[in-house]
Amino acid sequence: MSEQDTEEHDHGDCQDAVSRLYEYLAGELDEVSMTKVTAHLQACSPCLEAFDFHAELKKVVAHKCSEQMPAELRSELLAMLDGEAGPTDTAGM
Amino acid sequence: MADQATFTEQVEPFMDALYGAAMRMTRNPADAEDLLQETFLRAYRGFPNFTEGTNLRAWLYRILTNTYINTYRAKQRRPEQSDLEEVEDLYLYRRLGGLEAASLGRSAEDELMDLFTEGEVKEAIDSLPDNFRVPVLLADVEGFAYKEIAEMLDIPMGTVMSRLHRGRKALQKSLHSFAASRGLASEDPEVVDR
Repeated sequence: MSEQDTEEHDHGDCQDAVSRLYEYLAGELDEVSMTKVTAHLQACSPCLEAFDFHAELKKVVAHKCSEQMPAELRSELLAMLDGEAGPTDTAGM
Repeated sequence: MADQATFTEQVEPFMDALYGAAMRMTRNPADAEDLLQETFLRAYRGFPNFTEGTNLRAWLYRILTNTYINTYRAKQRRPEQSDLEEVEDLYLYRRLGGLEAASLGRSAEDELMDLFTEGEVKEAIDSLPDNFRVPVLLADVEGFAYKEIAEMLDIPMGTVMSRLHRGRKALQKSLHSFAASRGLASEDPEVVDR
């Protein structure tokens, strides 16, 4: 029963952990805060589920935003760069 | 001092990702193409100043972002969302009932992958105003560190964090609308027996 672990810890910590969710997932928390949040997640399965959800959501959003450069554009860009490079042989005297 | 002769070879692996970022920044293919042309031109010309062995990806994105801001951002004026106050933490999570991944034997990721279409996610990102969309893109889609983003955008870390905070709320709100319109999310937080 999930009620068990919610009764055993301080719900004030949930608020604290959740407020730092994104920074935690992005690895932006300092070590002390990181340890604190990790400890809370180990003790609180509802928060752990919420964190897992957001970790997955982030992956899904990144995945769905990924694109492949159209072949035509790629050719255009490569041609442009080729043009910038100019002739590579030492021409004329 | 990086060798221009190796430029194409070194940047080619980043082309798809840069295209994706350009599309989300400019929100239309024609502008994205122009942005990329200019970005690659600047990058090529500036390559002798790039220190080999340092973070090429960050360097390229910095040029892309700067070029976007200087060229396009001035032209776009969208009203900033002011109704984000009621978007609490876990806004979307609390309204997605029926995510019984465990009982269905599917991973949470599969569930979420199916919940939103590519078009919806892109539209949700695109609907963010510039000063939210660019940081959210750089942090949550492209995975840059907050410090790097602050440098790229030439704004303080605190500003990055506050724009990310609000941008993510706005994003959750948009994603929620898509899910709700298909009957997959409720309007109010689910009363979950926890």
